[in-house]
Amino acid sequence: MIQVNHLTKRYAGRTAVDSISFDVEKGEIVGFLGPNGAGKSTTLRILTCFLSASEGTASVAGYDIYEDSIKVRQHVGYMPENVPLYPDMRVKEYLQFRARIKGLRYRESRRAVNEAMDICSLSEVDHKIISTLSKGYKQRVGLADALVNKPDLLILDEPTNGLDPNQIRQSRELIKRLGERHTILISTHILSEVEMTCGRVVIIDQGKIRACDTPQNLIRRLRRPGEIILEMQGDGEKATEKISKLEGVKSVKKTEIGGKWVTLLIHTDPNIDAREDVFELVNKSGWRIRELASRAASLEDAFVDIVQRPGESTGKTNPVQSST
Amino acid sequence: MRAFLILFTKELRSFFLSPLAWIVMALFTFLNGWLFVGMINAMRLRVSSRSLVYNLFDSGWFWMGFFILFPLITMRLFAEERKMGTIEGLLTAPVRTSEVILAKYCATVVVYLVIVAPLFMFFPLFQLITGEQAAFQAGALWGTSLGLLLVGIFHVAIGTLASALTSNQLIAAMLTFVFVMLHYFMGFMERFGLVSGSNWGDSLSYFSTIEHMHSLTEGLIDSRPIIYYISFAAVLLTITHHVLESRKWRA
Repeated sequence: MIQVNHLTKRYAGRTAVDSISFDVEKGEIVGFLGPNGAGKSTTLRILTCFLSASEGTASVAGYDIYEDSIKVRQHVGYMPENVPLYPDMRVKEYLQFRARIKGLRYRESRRAVNEAMDICSLSEVDHKIISTLSKGYKQRVGLADALVNKPDLLILDEPTNGLDPNQIRQSRELIKRLGERHTILISTHILSEVEMTCGRVVIIDQGKIRACDTPQNLIRRLRRPGEIILEMQGDGEKATEKISKLEGVKSVKKTEIGGKWVTLLIHTDPNIDAREDVFELVNKSGWRIRELASRAASLEDAFVDIVQRPGESTGKTNPVQSST
Repeated sequence: MRAFLILFTKELRSFFLSPLAWIVMALFTFLNGWLFVGMINAMRLRVSSRSLVYNLFDSGWFWMGFFILFPLITMRLFAEERKMGTIEGLLTAPVRTSEVILAKYCATVVVYLVIVAPLFMFFPLFQLITGEQAAFQAGALWGTSLGLLLVGIFHVAIGTLASALTSNQLIAAMLTFVFVMLHYFMGFMERFGLVSGSNWGDSLSYFSTIEHMHSLTEGLIDSRPIIYYISFAAVLLTITHHVLESRKWRA
């Protein structure tokens, strides 16, 4: 559905996207991740023919983005970052206008608008003026706009940006459902969302692709020591000392919390599960346990691990970064 | 063509569904109504060898309104879309940039025509109320309407270009204001004595809006201003197209 080949975009004095290549197959939901300023929006804008690349080629839905720009735009539903809408139009009027300029005939457009409003649960605000809508509704109008002409491919640039947790959960469901009908390329910051909806993740940082895999594989690939959290009542000092001597334990960090309770953060070798040993030890010593849990690595950890810059993790400045 | 019509209608709707067009129209008509009355009084006090139509469109007062009118109706065309970001949705829809430009441009020319249309009610109204023949002829009115159409075609193109150049509506308005005014005063350089050589003065007076209107308000239809305004508008719109396309590379 999308083939990107050594795409490069240079702004004056700065390379925003640096020779990236990736593919998206039909029917996939692909998450496009990266820190702010990594080149996500630029890439999406090139794919939707809003910007031109400096070098490289890309084809979307089988059409070249330079040669058949109009065809590409017919087959892509794009929701730009921050969802720009005409504030003085009514919801239905706006969607009708968008459906029409995307090439639907008048009668088709009416049916398509109603359908899109149903999918995005906009029916109760169809006559409201867009500027009076809440952020969540505006976001949904943008989404309805993107899918109104039933494009093969949806490109959504931070569709959940600025929504409350409830709305994020709803839009996650919605995107999952849309994935049954459309191929989706979605850029976002919210990693839990990607973990639950996307079949594949492309991570981009400083204009380069750092990783491209399923979320599960990314997490598995993550080389981090295991972490165990222990919350107990008893002699914290002695516990720290004893646990440190257990097999596979690398370090123990103690934090006091209210009353007699102590929390210990135990780092272990990644392949060793030390929970049983810890439990036995605490039990034998006659202390009481309130919590004993291993913290599983999440996509967030993988993301941080992949995009962490050398300068930031060691405290030293990267010479390349400081010169720009 | 289909996309053009849809965009054209949308543009017209957003003009006439907002109070701006109506307020501008009301004030512009008020201003010119006052001028009309003043001109009739002036002609009653002092005999003029020229017709009412000629005198009306010869006065600087009349053109003063145009310096403000064109910036007002063109400043938002592209500047607003760029500021709000809606241009991204517009240019990622399957429409050609040229269709977008022409739709916005043509809609604004229509808005301009609607705003100046009440002017032409003054003459029959005057006759109806006073029962007197106003000092004008039908040919002069036709010539004048052609003149105003040409002026609109040209100046709206200036405004369209100015609006495409910036995302700030005030800068767009200021640019249009300055260029409309420069163009108007270019024809007066000779009178101001700013250009001493008479070749320069003569050449510059070819650009003069007032000079073009003189022949048209006498009912004389000269092809030179027609070609002048239309070809200049075409050049300006072509530049607008290049400006919007180059955004893809610079942005």
